[in-house]
Amino acid sequence: MVAIVTHSLSKTFKSLGKASVHSVTDLNLNIEENEVFGFLGRNGAGKTTAIKLLAGLLKPTKGSAALFGVDTRLAHARSMMGYLPEHPYFYEYLTPRETIAFYGRLRGLNSKERKSEWERISELLDLRDIADRRIRGFSKGMRQRVGFAVALVGDPPLLILDEPMSGLDPLGRRMIRELILQLRDRGKTIFFSSHVLSDVEEICVRVGILVSGRLAACDRIDKLVGNTAKSVEICATGLDDLFCRKQSNFILEYEERKEGGYRLVVRDTELANILAMEINQQGGTLLSMHPVQETLEDFFARIQDSASDIALAEG
Amino acid sequence: MNRIFAVADNTFRESIRDKVLYVLLFFAAATILGSKVLGWISIGQDIKIIKDICLASMSLFGVLISIFIGTSLVYKEIDKKTLYTILAQPLHRYEFVLGKYLGLLLVLALSLLIMTGVSTVYLVMMGGVTGVIWFQAIFLIYLKLVLITAFAIFMSALVSPIMGAVIVFFLYVLGHATEVLRNLPPQFEGTASEKILEIVYFVVPNLNTFNLQSEAANNVPVASSFVIFALLYGLAWTAMLLILACLTFEGRDV
Ligand SMILES: Nc1ncnc2c1ncn2[C@@H]1O[C@H](COP(=O)(O)OP(=O)(O)OP(=O)(O)O)[C@@H](O)[C@H]1O
Ligand SMILES: [Mg+2]
Repeated sequence: MVAIVTHSLSKTFKSLGKASVHSVTDLNLNIEENEVFGFLGRNGAGKTTAIKLLAGLLKPTKGSAALFGVDTRLAHARSMMGYLPEHPYFYEYLTPRETIAFYGRLRGLNSKERKSEWERISELLDLRDIADRRIRGFSKGMRQRVGFAVALVGDPPLLILDEPMSGLDPLGRRMIRELILQLRDRGKTIFFSSHVLSDVEEICVRVGILVSGRLAACDRIDKLVGNTAKSVEICATGLDDLFCRKQSNFILEYEERKEGGYRLVVRDTELANILAMEINQQGGTLLSMHPVQETLEDFFARIQDSASDIALAEG
Repeated sequence: MNRIFAVADNTFRESIRDKVLYVLLFFAAATILGSKVLGWISIGQDIKIIKDICLASMSLFGVLISIFIGTSLVYKEIDKKTLYTILAQPLHRYEFVLGKYLGLLLVLALSLLIMTGVSTVYLVMMGGVTGVIWFQAIFLIYLKLVLITAFAIFMSALVSPIMGAVIVFFLYVLGHATEVLRNLPPQFEGTASEKILEIVYFVVPNLNTFNLQSEAANNVPVASSFVIFALLYGLAWTAMLLILACLTFEGRDV
């Protein structure tokens, strides 16, 4: 079963007297069940807009989306989804316990089920200590936890999370990361947007990258960043600055290491071999030589550039 | 249905924690208790005046509660972004609107009950008698609030609270003045304004349908058909306004 399918999903915001904004254009996604999918893009790329379209908060200008085969315009689609907004806001005068109970009622749980949901969720998100305090006085991180808790009410098979780690301290982020993996192991599908690429690399297999509302790339991370080395890094001692400057026509960059010696970067293994011989001839000592893999961050930066080149070419 | 009640229950709780409600109820009670002063001025008429003022203040303060709370009901949820997580639940948008509406009706019922209690006790203490007509008059005031609240929630889905409050208050005043529109002075005959005002007469609910104030003050009974007509009239308008509110909200991006 496919968890999320979109067909040329588009959203244009029109307002009187202003140019219309094409926030999401022709988005085609296919998210398999039990997948953790990372949704990336720069600020203003349209991630939140796309997520709101999936959550049924916005009506698509064009195209359609379906969750487990049910069109997102139908209320039933939302019973299979838990949603964490970018900035979760709840009734300030309720406590987390009351909040979970309220959302439980909206999901049609009876009072016994609501009670056991509270037990389950408060345990997962460590809400016990703040169970009976009003949300009014909560910090950003506490609110984020309540937001996550609300997304889990009713144990939906799909979670759509808009920047679940934003505003959390390192331990909080780790908690969410572990929770996402734990949910995946229980068979859930998780679709989340994020700016923290290291988190994304750690928990997702596939990512989609949105550039100016269009899906510029969508694949497994290992396929996107490729297996080819981006460059080769060499560490050596017994060299001097002059040597490095002389080789500067084929050294991409170099720096003195804190622990002594130099770190030199060349484009590929062929050049690395030549450089190694040079170092030997100069009486230096080769400490290490290893390929540098492209990271998701490099790929992310690269695709932004190529997408803006295309945009320029198109005028 | 359960989901509507969940929203209604929450709205009720939110509203009874709203300070505005208590301020308005305080002023209502003050007006009711102060009616004696006006009664003194018109010697021998005091019970009648007290009844008149009690009913007028129930109507006015009820409407103010409906306006102040009602026009911000939906807007506030959009503004404070609490709506995102609610509409992302398996809940129809009309269920949300109806839940909000029912919650406020409950608040209004409670407020009117309090005002009725205060005025009735006060009247009896002053040596007045209250008949069926007294309670019929209050019932119709509630019906009027049911209608106006439906309009307020419609406005709430459409415009900002301040704008909505102004429009609803305007409708309240106009709704009591429809008779004037019907019997225009002869200068208007044949003019364009006559046509416009005639249209206004038909699109504005006639709120005097719900007015039994002078009958109650004078303790004159009315035929039950009068009350039944008001009931049907009020419910028809309410249904129409609620449908408009739901349709407006259905198509809205949040
Ligand atoms: N309600 C709206 N009315 C008009 N324009 C909007 C609206 N919501 C979003 N936009 C525009 O759509 C574009 C995408 O915004 P969106 O919030 O989806 O970006 P994002 O990828 O979530 O960014 P961020 O990483 O900063 O959260 C922006 O140009 C934004 O100005
Ligand atoms: Mg966003």
